[in-house]
Amino acid sequence: MDTVFLMNSLWVMISAILVILMIGGFILLETGSTRMKNAGHIAGKTILTFGISSIVFWAVGYGLIFGEGNSILGFSDFFYSGYDVEGLGLSGAVFFLFQLAFAGISLTIAFGGFAERAKLSVYLVFALLFSVLVYPFIAHWIWGGGWLAEHGKQDFAGSTVVHLTGAMAALAATMLLKPRIGKFNKDGSANNIEGHNQVFTALSVLLLWVGWFGFNAGSTISVDGAFFGFVALNTNLAAAAGTVAAMLISWIVLGKADVPMMLNGALAGLVAITASCAFVDTWAAVVIGLLAGILVFYSIRFFESRKIDDPIFALSVHGTAGVWGTLSTGFFATPELATVGNAGLFYGGGFEQLGVQALGVAASGGFAFIVSYIILSIMKVTMKGLRVTEEEEIIGLDISEHGSYGYPELVNKEAAAKVSIENPSPGNVPLSSQQPSIN
Amino acid sequence: MGSAGRMEQSIWSDQDHGLVFKTNSNDAQKYFLRLGKEISEGLELAGYNKCSGSVMASNPLWCKSLKEWENQLGLWVGESSWESIRYLLIFADARTIYGDHGLLNILKERAFDEVKSEHLLLKMLHNTMFMKKGVGILGQLLVETHGAFAGSINLKETAFFPFVNAARLLSFSEGIKETRTLSRISHISDSVMKHHDKSLYSENFATLLDFRLKYGSHKDYDSGHYVNINKLAKDEKKALKEILKVGEQFYEHVRKLLERM
Repeated sequence: MDTVFLMNSLWVMISAILVILMIGGFILLETGSTRMKNAGHIAGKTILTFGISSIVFWAVGYGLIFGEGNSILGFSDFFYSGYDVEGLGLSGAVFFLFQLAFAGISLTIAFGGFAERAKLSVYLVFALLFSVLVYPFIAHWIWGGGWLAEHGKQDFAGSTVVHLTGAMAALAATMLLKPRIGKFNKDGSANNIEGHNQVFTALSVLLLWVGWFGFNAGSTISVDGAFFGFVALNTNLAAAAGTVAAMLISWIVLGKADVPMMLNGALAGLVAITASCAFVDTWAAVVIGLLAGILVFYSIRFFESRKIDDPIFALSVHGTAGVWGTLSTGFFATPELATVGNAGLFYGGGFEQLGVQALGVAASGGFAFIVSYIILSIMKVTMKGLRVTEEEEIIGLDISEHGSYGYPELVNKEAAAKVSIENPSPGNVPLSSQQPSIN
Repeated sequence: MGSAGRMEQSIWSDQDHGLVFKTNSNDAQKYFLRLGKEISEGLELAGYNKCSGSVMASNPLWCKSLKEWENQLGLWVGESSWESIRYLLIFADARTIYGDHGLLNILKERAFDEVKSEHLLLKMLHNTMFMKKGVGILGQLLVETHGAFAGSINLKETAFFPFVNAARLLSFSEGIKETRTLSRISHISDSVMKHHDKSLYSENFATLLDFRLKYGSHKDYDSGHYVNINKLAKDEKKALKEILKVGEQFYEHVRKLLERM
């Protein structure tokens, strides 16, 4: 067998595995950023999400994206049987698996906006509908030879296709679900509902960071010229710049270097470089990441000020950074690297590519938001609401949706501790409950 | 003790008090604990919230005979843990409101001596080092971003803490038994701090006391510590920044003094 074919297949297989491992990153990210009483539910439903999206992708998703069709949608190759595709240069099954992983990630991002309040049945139904009616359209338009591809839209590994699409569904969900109980006060000020495990969240960012090498560098889908190394380098630089920028901006503006914000900055850098990783020089990757880190900081504040409760910051990390990343090639794409579309504004390409990128953002983002909003609105009516009851939300989804806690022992102990703090016996007050103040 | 001990109460106050009695017996202990409970419940009826840290005469920790108190202070100094140092700092703000003033004076002298002989001042300094910043790198006032006081600056933690802690730490090193921050500053010996600096710190702290009364919302105990900066005029913001700056300067000054000792 042809060595290049084998090596391409092997490289993309490794990349597919890395991308699927990102689901693990999202499990830790979502669980760590939310409260203990919902931990088991959030971790478990993320696996379920990948299960559903895999089956749907196999049955119809792949065909809708890559099948023969028109500029809007493909209509062949349903129920993929494992055949090779001529001219692809690697195993068809490996390519399929790689694409399947992307579809799964996009849905996982969308579900970030559902956290801590949606019913489990809503996850099931929306997983199915998003995987058929939302993701395949945008993926076909940009990667499957659809109308945006014909315009030369640049989105190397999916700032738009995967991240913006997921984030727009998340936006529709957060708007329809309404904020969690206790997120906003009567006067409109927001409370900080802190995640229960910052270590999980930090570890998730590392997992995602490493997984992103599969995401971006794997999207070369070949080992030709070892170009994947350059793509991986750009990816790493942007993530690093995003981390530093978000940490510095929170330090400058708020007076403290906020850890969750720094982690969001790393992810925003990764999301932003996803579109442009193969089209820009290394210095531009640093600039793209830096701006993503700053943007995500202001974006989070913006959504909160609009009373949109986004528990894991999916809208800012994947949405705002996704938009910026998509537009960034319109500024920074170099003539040598732009194998799709044209060079960017800073390389004498004028506004043409920037215009195409903006059109792609508006069309894809608009489509994903509107269709998701319609789907969820219909579901809201037919399924008697998207959200669990107040009582269920307060006791937590672990118990209300599954009947058992993710952390049975800890949650029970916490409840017991609360009782003893409320009724302290004199002379025996737990020190931890005393205020460290000057009195 | 607490803000009332320092005579720096705002409109609202919570309880911080204790008892010292002469007779060292179980019966006396029982009697005064019972009295402490009455006092704390009476104060609550009068509108003073109970102290969440339980610094009240109803708590055996703060209701002791002179002898027991002496033991306790020795233990706190010896333990020198974060909590015990915090207790010593709280104790420094005690003043008598009824009974024999001499008892507290004996205890204070004892505490000051022990702290000095055990070289505890640096530890005390480190205990109080964590303070919320009031002004950012760009010269902006740093406000709460979340919660009921979003958009307001926490005067207690950003403005009061530096002044109060700095003066309190010096009261240990200088053996000043006064409890008001302003009195403490005026009692600092001229050899340690220049007259000009003392009056700068005093003036700013006095302005801060006025500032809180004038601009705090005073709906309840908590709200009195917060000032919504959007309601301040430009020159009022400027004045507040000046107070914050001087507070930080005062604390830094004391830090350097203590570290040099």
